[in-house]
Amino acid sequence: MTLLIIIFAVTLIYFSITERFKTYAILIGLQGLMLFGIAIFKLTSTDLPNLIFIVSETLLFKGIIVPFLLFKIIRENKIHKVHNKAIPGFYSLISISFGLLISVILAKSLNNKNVDFLYFTISLFSLYTGLFLIIGHKKIFSHLIGFLIIENAVFLLSVAIGSEMPMLINTAILLDIFVSVLILGVFLNKIGDKINDFESEKLTKLKD
Amino acid sequence: MLLIYFIITIILAVAVVFVNNRTFSKMTMLLFVAIQIAFNVFALQHYNSIELTYFTFDAPAIIFLTILSIILTTTTYHSLIYLRREYKRRFNSYIAALIVLSASITGAYLSNSLTVNWIFVEATTLAVAVLIYHERTQQALEATWKYVFLCSVGIAMAYMGILFLSSTVHATGTSRITYQSMAEIVAHANPVYLKITFIFILIGYSTKMELFPMHTVGIDANSVAPAQVGGFISSVMVNVGFLSIFRVYIVLANNAEVLLWMSHVLMLTGVLSLLVAAGYMLKSTHNKRMLAYSTLENVGIIAISLGVGGIGYYAAFLHIILHSFTKAGLFYQVGQSKRYFHSYELNKTGNYFKLFPAGAIALLLGLICITAIPPSGMFISEFMTFKALISSGNWIVFIPMVLLLTFVMYALFVRIFHLLFSEPLEPISLIEPVKVNPVETISQYMLFAIVIYLCFIRPPFLNDIINQAIAVIPK
Repeated sequence: MTLLIIIFAVTLIYFSITERFKTYAILIGLQGLMLFGIAIFKLTSTDLPNLIFIVSETLLFKGIIVPFLLFKIIRENKIHKVHNKAIPGFYSLISISFGLLISVILAKSLNNKNVDFLYFTISLFSLYTGLFLIIGHKKIFSHLIGFLIIENAVFLLSVAIGSEMPMLINTAILLDIFVSVLILGVFLNKIGDKINDFESEKLTKLKD
Repeated sequence: MLLIYFIITIILAVAVVFVNNRTFSKMTMLLFVAIQIAFNVFALQHYNSIELTYFTFDAPAIIFLTILSIILTTTTYHSLIYLRREYKRRFNSYIAALIVLSASITGAYLSNSLTVNWIFVEATTLAVAVLIYHERTQQALEATWKYVFLCSVGIAMAYMGILFLSSTVHATGTSRITYQSMAEIVAHANPVYLKITFIFILIGYSTKMELFPMHTVGIDANSVAPAQVGGFISSVMVNVGFLSIFRVYIVLANNAEVLLWMSHVLMLTGVLSLLVAAGYMLKSTHNKRMLAYSTLENVGIIAISLGVGGIGYYAAFLHIILHSFTKAGLFYQVGQSKRYFHSYELNKTGNYFKLFPAGAIALLLGLICITAIPPSGMFISEFMTFKALISSGNWIVFIPMVLLLTFVMYALFVRIFHLLFSEPLEPISLIEPVKVNPVETISQYMLFAIVIYLCFIRPPFLNDIINQAIAVIPK
């Protein structure tokens, strides 16, 4: 199980150096599958119906449906690579590594017996990575990926804190499903029709 | 009763979408307004009672529920005028979204649990998105995308805050994460966790309260959405954000160290909100964006009032009540002005007083109310905030606040006076103006009349309920 969470952290680092959106979609799918494994091992104390709900959400929704929708967006809108104005891979790697260091220090300083240190660290690291993708990239698709990573951070934090509070995890899942469907829906149905190259710079008509 | 209310709401919203008939939708909307008012009366009669375990008819909920009922009524009236020439499909989706939004807001006000409140706040995002995207323009798409995206990030942040707070509870189960149960626990909890909780909650719900730093979503949404929707968002939706933050504030205030820290954070956020609002209002050339920045200014004042404490708590509640009525009225009126000018651009508007005196006087009254000039009731709430700041020796907040409010007043007066009395600076639209019946301004006059009335007389029941809402804050 520790191996799974470490691989999860590696996928986060990989986000910083890859430039292809297909790789982004694959990594998001992989993260979903890893969260499925984590949920199975970590939440053994949870009652069966809750466990089935959590496991099916991670496997079906995060591991299969979301990556499928991401590939659909990539295919239909012919977007392949991150913007050339995005922060170069080398600097991204340094920044992401710095984020990992900060996450470890922060998690250590906030040591709490009710919180699993390793999960807490990776959750903070996921939050950092998600925000980094939103701030550092120009393409809206990258922002979408950043948001999905933040959702994974919320899920990990709920597992770290609430392994004995299934309702907390279920609510976090509600966030996942509800918001992902909403955002991906807007993306699939509306944005792609009107904004061809998915650059956030095209969304600047509303300003003072 | 609450369960029946939610079931009826869902049935009405679904029926509007599937029946797909204009008259049916119109009647359904009017029926829903009647149900909302009836439910409000029921809530008043069952004050402080608990329904469905997770909902309480407590003082803050009653205050905001009553505001919702009043503003829903006026918004429905203006919506039905606005939707007269609308396509059938858009008409129905608008009505269904307004019903779902009102019910979600009701749920958010009444919830006594952090997670249940969060679920309803999340639900408001979906309904509002439909209303913001109503006009189907590129700007509407941009505003909707930004709103949905940033609110989703904000809501995720707020949930992280809830998780941090729940980490202070040792395996008690979520059913016990009510505001009341948490209040007992936080007194001895790790202050660092509580501070992180507050920061996440404040950032997350600032999307709804339109407070710095996530205020931009509200600005864009208000400037693009139909004017009456802007009025609804700027009043009752802002109140959702305020109440969600306020309830967590009360819980965390049980820890003395955290209370002091939260006060400083709120005052800082308030001053920064005022700074951003003043800066952008001075350069704003869009009438609705100007009103949206005015909302940022007012929620900044409310944050400062809450932060300073003492009489400031009362001022915060009075200010948010009065702001709700004033801002809704102003949005309705600016929306009517568009029917003459076919634009919200400042340079393409002017001479409104000659064109439509009834609307112009309403706008002038709204200007007096929002700038807190007597006889506006907002003068009282701002005066109380100043008093609280001076008596607590917070000169470092008081001085910039007064300076920034001066800039805000200047910006508002220059722009609204231009709209009322000056010639348009650019050629106005060649499209024939749509005449507005003066009767359509009555709702604005009524809302401003409430604000002016409360300057002179604050009825005992209002004082009592505000005092009960703030009585739960630990001293």
